[in-house]
Amino acid sequence: MPIRPFRPLQLPAGLGLNLIVLLVLVLLVAAPLLTILMQTLAPDRIGAWRDVLASPLSPNLFWRPAANTMILGFGVATGCVLIGGLLAWLVVMTDMPFRRLIGFLATLPFMIPSFATALAWGTVFRNGRVGGGGGLLEGMGIAVPDALAWGMVPTMLVLIAHYYALAFTVIAAALATVNGDLVEAAQMTGANRRRVLFGIVLPVVMPAIIAGGSLCFAAAVSNFAAPALLGLPVRMQTLSTRLFGMIEIGQVERGYVLAILLIAISAVFLALGNRLLAGRRSFATISGKGGRARRFALGTARLPLTALALLICVLTTIVPILLLIAASLAPMASALFSNWTLQFWIGDADPAFARGQAGILNNPQLLRALSLTMGLGAIVALIANVIGILIAVALTRHRLRGISEAVSQLSFLPMLLPGIAFGAAYIALYGAPIGPLPALYGTTTLLALALTAAMLPFAVQTGRATVAQISGDIDEAARLTGAGFLRRIGAITLPLASRGLIASLLLCFVNVVSDLAIVVLLYTPTTPLFSVLSYRYASDGFHQFANAVTLVILAISTLAAGLAALLRGRNRPWLSS
Amino acid sequence: MITLNQLGKTFGTAMAVEDVSLTVPEGAFLVLLGPSGCGKTTILRMLAGLEHPTQGIIRFGDTVVADAGRGFTLEPGRRNAGLVFQSYALWPHMTVSGNVEWPLRVANLNREERRARVAEALEMLGVAKLANRYPGEISGGQQQRVAIARMIAPRPRVLLFDEPLSNLDATLRVEMRTELLRVHRATGATAVYVTHDQIEAMTMATHVAVMNGGKVEQFDTPQRLLSDPASAFVARFIGTPPANLIPVQDGSWFGMMPCAALRGASGHGMIRAEDLMLANAPEPGVIAANLVEVVPMAGRRLVTGLVQGQRLTAVTDPHSPLPADLHFRLPLAAAAIFDVQGRRVI
Repeated sequence: MPIRPFRPLQLPAGLGLNLIVLLVLVLLVAAPLLTILMQTLAPDRIGAWRDVLASPLSPNLFWRPAANTMILGFGVATGCVLIGGLLAWLVVMTDMPFRRLIGFLATLPFMIPSFATALAWGTVFRNGRVGGGGGLLEGMGIAVPDALAWGMVPTMLVLIAHYYALAFTVIAAALATVNGDLVEAAQMTGANRRRVLFGIVLPVVMPAIIAGGSLCFAAAVSNFAAPALLGLPVRMQTLSTRLFGMIEIGQVERGYVLAILLIAISAVFLALGNRLLAGRRSFATISGKGGRARRFALGTARLPLTALALLICVLTTIVPILLLIAASLAPMASALFSNWTLQFWIGDADPAFARGQAGILNNPQLLRALSLTMGLGAIVALIANVIGILIAVALTRHRLRGISEAVSQLSFLPMLLPGIAFGAAYIALYGAPIGPLPALYGTTTLLALALTAAMLPFAVQTGRATVAQISGDIDEAARLTGAGFLRRIGAITLPLASRGLIASLLLCFVNVVSDLAIVVLLYTPTTPLFSVLSYRYASDGFHQFANAVTLVILAISTLAAGLAALLRGRNRPWLSS
Repeated sequence: MITLNQLGKTFGTAMAVEDVSLTVPEGAFLVLLGPSGCGKTTILRMLAGLEHPTQGIIRFGDTVVADAGRGFTLEPGRRNAGLVFQSYALWPHMTVSGNVEWPLRVANLNREERRARVAEALEMLGVAKLANRYPGEISGGQQQRVAIARMIAPRPRVLLFDEPLSNLDATLRVEMRTELLRVHRATGATAVYVTHDQIEAMTMATHVAVMNGGKVEQFDTPQRLLSDPASAFVARFIGTPPANLIPVQDGSWFGMMPCAALRGASGHGMIRAEDLMLANAPEPGVIAANLVEVVPMAGRRLVTGLVQGQRLTAVTDPHSPLPADLHFRLPLAAAAIFDVQGRRVI
């Protein structure tokens, strides 16, 4: 009689890893969201829903901000698709000169924090209405109407200038696939240009246009900096500024309700976009060797369109930065290019100057903020990427029914969440003591946790690419030579994956350093961060300091982003040929 | 009838096509054959009207469709020509029947006519069942059939194919060759077909233009390409297996086996695989070789050996034993002799 070998209870491989990453995700993502929801549903707090949605207060609390938010969302989405789409078409499909340069510039605005663009706008268009000095235009004797200085119009324009890069990237990539054979096949039928454009090109890129539009919509409704800097002074509220205000003045339940509603609105539109994209006509599956690119001749429109494209790019990238530089040196924004001084950068505290504020490089609080911001950026980037790789390993190597779906969904959820609502959720959960654990409010740990969770979607994506390299043919080829695991990691995987990993670390770092929406609710005077200080300076009317601080953030993030771009190589297929 | 007259095309300073002249009759199946970069696709694109010649004239029948001298080119859509792309270029946002119908719509055909033509084209290619699918939902071979259906539905007089079978697997490729020939016969149109695969050329063409470096090496029927290659390039490119081209120096095979029939030539002598015999032992007219491979093929046996680094292949009787020590017996005369530049001498 054969002896049955004794077998211990077999657990599925990778169960432990899966459970660990699931636990991390629950703590970082699911728990804060559930808490914020539960807290508004508690019997003594459920009234907040009625206050917000159906009470004499609710037009001010919710409906008007919501209307503003929607107008902003649709306006920004439309503007971004128009501008991004126009630039994408020019760069990918026409014989416009400087295509490379414009294609590069059009991806940059997204790198500039939106509060930088908003501050630059104020430098030029600010008027005396809300006190403080006017901007450049008023200094030149041009009266700036309120509508252009404050409120909806400037907020929308600043957000378009900031987010059109998103639409450009998505649409340009789609146009690059339609270029060549698909268009030539249409030309062979004798269809004229118009018909090719409306019958073939537009329908094929429509999914990308919808995707770009819904991304821009979600980004615009979530944005905090632009409406806060340009709208709040004239009491134009969006959901994000209202939510910020509620929590600031201690009406946290109402704030939480607003946060939930903001998440819902943003999610509904992202889901609608996805809905339109899904279904049978997913075009990405068509393969085949791409043909040579054929470019529409612009003819007489060539020069005007080139000038327009260059103007758009320069106005949204270089001009804001130059304005900020000038405005950080000029005592009066109305005289932007005279009496330049380094007082705001390196000056000593002087009661005659800016109410005794020292220049930012002489201000101990700012120096502390600088080291804290950089340190936070580095730590968050590192932790997020380590978790990202673990999640990627769990997802690709050890898929487990049920758990893997939850892990995958949770790790991408933060992408859909407006930063400020995410911040609110973190206050809800970690703001108060949990059992023996102390309250984290006001600690760097809370900032780090929230930012790590927010960076997870990017980190998981990079992690997947890295893991694909570890488990692919390349690694198997190395295994066949007899190289051991560590040796393969050292000789094959790390060299291949390091560029992508370092690029991902740098990009996470940039996102952390230039984030305002998440941290604006979580920071306290003991944990000052650069972006928050810039915002505080600006809302207190110390524009030069705000500009100077913003420039430091810009310099740091530009350096890091540039380095990341170098490491990643030029991954912009629509620029080739 | 398609006529090319001293056709040329330069991209910047690079000469892609140089002085190509040829004529094929109505209903012919012309194959442009050559390695990649030889200019064959450029010619096809000039025929389609997607590229403008920098020299020469193209005529479809009596109609001039492009004349570089006058700077004249007829729009692609007005040439009554259809093109199947290597990538198929199916429009991903339209169904199969939508893809076939769109060109008919552009041509302003009425609804009944369109419906009839779409049905006819899909039927002819055997893809009628896929009418309501999207291109992303069907296989590569089916996409290929749809691309052909889309081309023939407007009933063009000229059918253009840009390496249409290169993305298919081997079995499907053979099947589609037959299919293409059937479609060609059914339409009676003149076909121009670009490929680098000489088997496709030999099986499908009525006329073949073998191209090399932007020029036509030889324009002939498949049979004549085999029996009478105009250059060493053609002789090496054509045939299954291709003929043996043996270096010849001053009238000697390999510079060491003098042969009167070589008449003192230097260059290469062509010996067809079926003219090369196996031998057991060295003797005059016999050369020793190292065995490389033995391939059974359709009741025959291909024996390949290496002589001075040169592969020689003989077609032999599969039942005769292989010599223990491989030797090849050269025939008394070469089938053709090419000079050092590859030009045909004899």
